[in-house]
Amino acid sequence: MSQTASLQSLESLLETFLDRVVFLKEKKLNVLDGINRLDDIGLMANQGEDVTDEIGNWFAEHNKWLTDRTLQDTELNRITGMLSKIKQEINIDNDSSMAQQKISSEIDRWNNKEEKTAPILTLMRKPETAETEPDTSADTISLFVKRLTKMTALFMDYSNSKNHILSVLEDILRKASTETSKDALILSAFIIYYLKQNGYKVEPYVKKLKEAETLYKKGMF
Amino acid sequence: MLSLGEKAYCAALLALKNKEYVNALHYFEKAAPYFEKNKEFTLYFETTRLLVEVKSKLGTLVDDKIEIEEIFTHG
Repeated sequence: MSQTASLQSLESLLETFLDRVVFLKEKKLNVLDGINRLDDIGLMANQGEDVTDEIGNWFAEHNKWLTDRTLQDTELNRITGMLSKIKQEINIDNDSSMAQQKISSEIDRWNNKEEKTAPILTLMRKPETAETEPDTSADTISLFVKRLTKMTALFMDYSNSKNHILSVLEDILRKASTETSKDALILSAFIIYYLKQNGYKVEPYVKKLKEAETLYKKGMF
Repeated sequence: MLSLGEKAYCAALLALKNKEYVNALHYFEKAAPYFEKNKEFTLYFETTRLLVEVKSKLGTLVDDKIEIEEIFTHG
């Protein structure tokens, strides 16, 4: 094979790999792009610019995120935080235009909806708040049961073609890292603790879990 | 707010999506200080860098070939 042919072969291979990366990250990339655009709008608002049109367009394009429920908790929290800041900058009062008031109510609608769709916020309440709201404790149990069910399904999916639990753990840790999946992260920790209790050496997996946790905290990639 | 690194990483991936590899490399370089320990980032960064190198090299080789053909044409 000539040098040119070798380079062309390598070029094709690298392009295919990067195409595949983009394909796998397509959904994540769309979310990230949306957050990035919202961040830019926030900066414009911070500089005193009128962002009514921009934020209106952003809502038109991304409102489906609320109903799709595809966003992770960290992403939702980030968007909510950005929208709250933008609302502060917009400074709505009685003299504000209809469009501005509409934007303000859209932000409220998003934030209210977000609180309902991101039950992890409930877990962050102070204990005394929980005591005054007895329903909250029931919610935490049902939430945990729901999470457990999802993790069981995840484990069954990944263990389907495997012969050993360590292979399953490897794959779930990979999912936790590449997709920053909370279910995969918790399930990995669960399996690692189970293995430890059964005499396995788990240090390498603990290291991978910590790396996955760091990525999850970054929340974007 | 997103960090400059996150914005650059996002721009790099969008550039990859549009097959703008030189742009992608430029944004990866900007994001690199923020993702030094991120193996996934490093893999995409280095792959893009290699691809740009290969494309650059291939461009040179194609140009050379054209010149040789022209020399033969004009005898």
